[in-house]
Amino acid sequence: MNRLTEMTALLHIRNLKTYFFGDDGTVPAVDGIDFSIGKGETLALVGESGCGKSLTSLSVMGLVPGTGRIVEGEVLLEGENLVEKTEEELSRIRGNEISMIFQEPMTSLNPVLTVGEQIMEGLLLHQRLSRQAARERAVQMLKLVGFPRAEAIMDEYPHQLSGGMRQRAMIAMAVACNPRLLIADEPTTALDVTIQAQILDLMRDVKEKLSTSILLITHDLGVVAEMAERVVVMYAGKVVEEAEVQDLFDQPAHPYTEGLIRSVPSLDEEKERLYSIEGNVPSPDRLPKGCPFAPRCSEAWEKCLQKEPELMEIGHGRRVRCFLYDPEEGGSR
Amino acid sequence: MSEKDLLEVKELCKYFPVRGGLFKRVVGHVRAVDQVSFTVRKGETFGLVGESGCGKSTTGRTLLRLLKPTEGRVLFEGEDVARLSRMRLRKLRRDMQMVFQDPYASLNPTMTVGQLLEEPMKIHGMYGNRERKRMVEELMDTVGLDTGYAQRYPHEFSGGQRQRIGIARALALRPKLIIADEPVSALDVSIQSQVLNLMEDLQAQFSLTYIFISHDLSVVKHIAERIGVMYLGRMAEIAPKKKLYTCPAHPYTEALLSAVPVPNPSLKRERIVLQGDTPSPANPPQGCPFHIRCPKVFDRCRGERPELLQIGEDHYVACHLYDKESRSKVV
Repeated sequence: MNRLTEMTALLHIRNLKTYFFGDDGTVPAVDGIDFSIGKGETLALVGESGCGKSLTSLSVMGLVPGTGRIVEGEVLLEGENLVEKTEEELSRIRGNEISMIFQEPMTSLNPVLTVGEQIMEGLLLHQRLSRQAARERAVQMLKLVGFPRAEAIMDEYPHQLSGGMRQRAMIAMAVACNPRLLIADEPTTALDVTIQAQILDLMRDVKEKLSTSILLITHDLGVVAEMAERVVVMYAGKVVEEAEVQDLFDQPAHPYTEGLIRSVPSLDEEKERLYSIEGNVPSPDRLPKGCPFAPRCSEAWEKCLQKEPELMEIGHGRRVRCFLYDPEEGGSR
Repeated sequence: MSEKDLLEVKELCKYFPVRGGLFKRVVGHVRAVDQVSFTVRKGETFGLVGESGCGKSTTGRTLLRLLKPTEGRVLFEGEDVARLSRMRLRKLRRDMQMVFQDPYASLNPTMTVGQLLEEPMKIHGMYGNRERKRMVEELMDTVGLDTGYAQRYPHEFSGGQRQRIGIARALALRPKLIIADEPVSALDVSIQSQVLNLMEDLQAQFSLTYIFISHDLSVVKHIAERIGVMYLGRMAEIAPKKKLYTCPAHPYTEALLSAVPVPNPSLKRERIVLQGDTPSPANPPQGCPFHIRCPKVFDRCRGERPELLQIGEDHYVACHLYDKESRSKVV
């Protein structure tokens, strides 16, 4: 697929910068992110802890926590810049046009409201349905996410449900208003493998039925391979690679992506010894000079320690941030 | 118990009482571990896998007698850990150590790394003062920590480094067996492979035996030689790695393996999606604990609990499908 144009894309993120302003100085947690999501597409945002993947999604939702602030950039939802919206305007978009599911459903569901009330809340608020109509729609949603006794679940409280059921309820809530974009932040990380399989199946199913675009945030390359069409890899607050899922796994371009893929043990192959990337993920307030991955990179040369590479197009809709692909800087690939 | 076995677990049970009512009387039991038997050979890595609440961690803790077993025997080099006196137990614990999932929660935050590593040797009265300090440096070196960091506190380290401290601490007493409970689950992918490689190196260097407890079937496949699969407090299947991953016998193992997402988008696999959730171990189903979710269930499963049967070399399974008696009835 070629790069998404204004016409086909649902969401454009342009040079997004979200910084934290603390007593010890400024932390550039998200530092100039660019990517787009097509209509009905599932895009995976991959990276390790602290790379800024979750903060990117919170910035899209206008939910940057604490001392953080979006300092630059645009988040365009079909041409409308969400960064410039007021809180009031945003609250009309959140839960309606963009909604989110989180890793830990118990902490993001309200424990004193029934499941039904929580699903109906958005419908009453955004769609201005009558209570009767909202209830009907909520039951319909619960059936969609696979609750056979949806009517009974409506009147139950989150603590009465198991982890997998809570995540189903949260998905029902998130898609009740038929959003154009669903952001799923580590939606199956807290779940057991057999329950994870159920939830991933359900997300695919819901996406097909409602033709929602999904921004899937995960650290699990297995989940990426199964769910995503396109992948954006983040490292230290920046995009380091973007590719179609098949290309990414077949031939990772960035040394970091390559290292990640090679270091995961997999069920379908036997590795004598796991590849490992040297060193640790750098903290965003103490980034090294030059390419932030250079100190851990097996391919790095002097250039990489001095100057930071730009994100470059390398054809077939791929982008990579690495001097290896820049002949002018001595790149050889 | 044969020559090459280090640990033999026989019908191990750990029940936790459930109290209720006005006088907090015992009204029932959670059967966290229920009649689990397996052996661990010298120098091997035995993987213990299962989903949350299956009893794999409780099994690990009961083996070390961090929890007192309700019933059953744990023979470590022929001695029954479950029945040892306090004195003998303390001696034995030198040989059996544990590595925990969250190294931060298991390291005392007010102690420096040097003190943390020296403490077990002090408690067991090993070496003289100066010798111990030298040992601490050696340990840090062994697990790949800069010896200059001995005066630092746990919070000054990253997750992967903390897990190295946890491993060094377990190594301090030169144990024979290390029980590692989800040792890499809290770590990032790139750090996970560093720690797994370290554990393999140490195993070769000190001829260690590992019991590796994990929910991650890909990690266990990489590190273990034989694997036990637990479900609801019971052992469902025990098999050598190759057999378990190529031809799983128990329907639960089969479903579990098919559910693991594989980082390879061109691989399209037949997936068995199990219906429903794992039942509570406080109220397990009659008969086979898996029967309510099992795609291959038949009458006998509902009433009778399957015993662990040997179906091949080193291959054991608790499923009526493999019992000749019931097979003749079904087919």
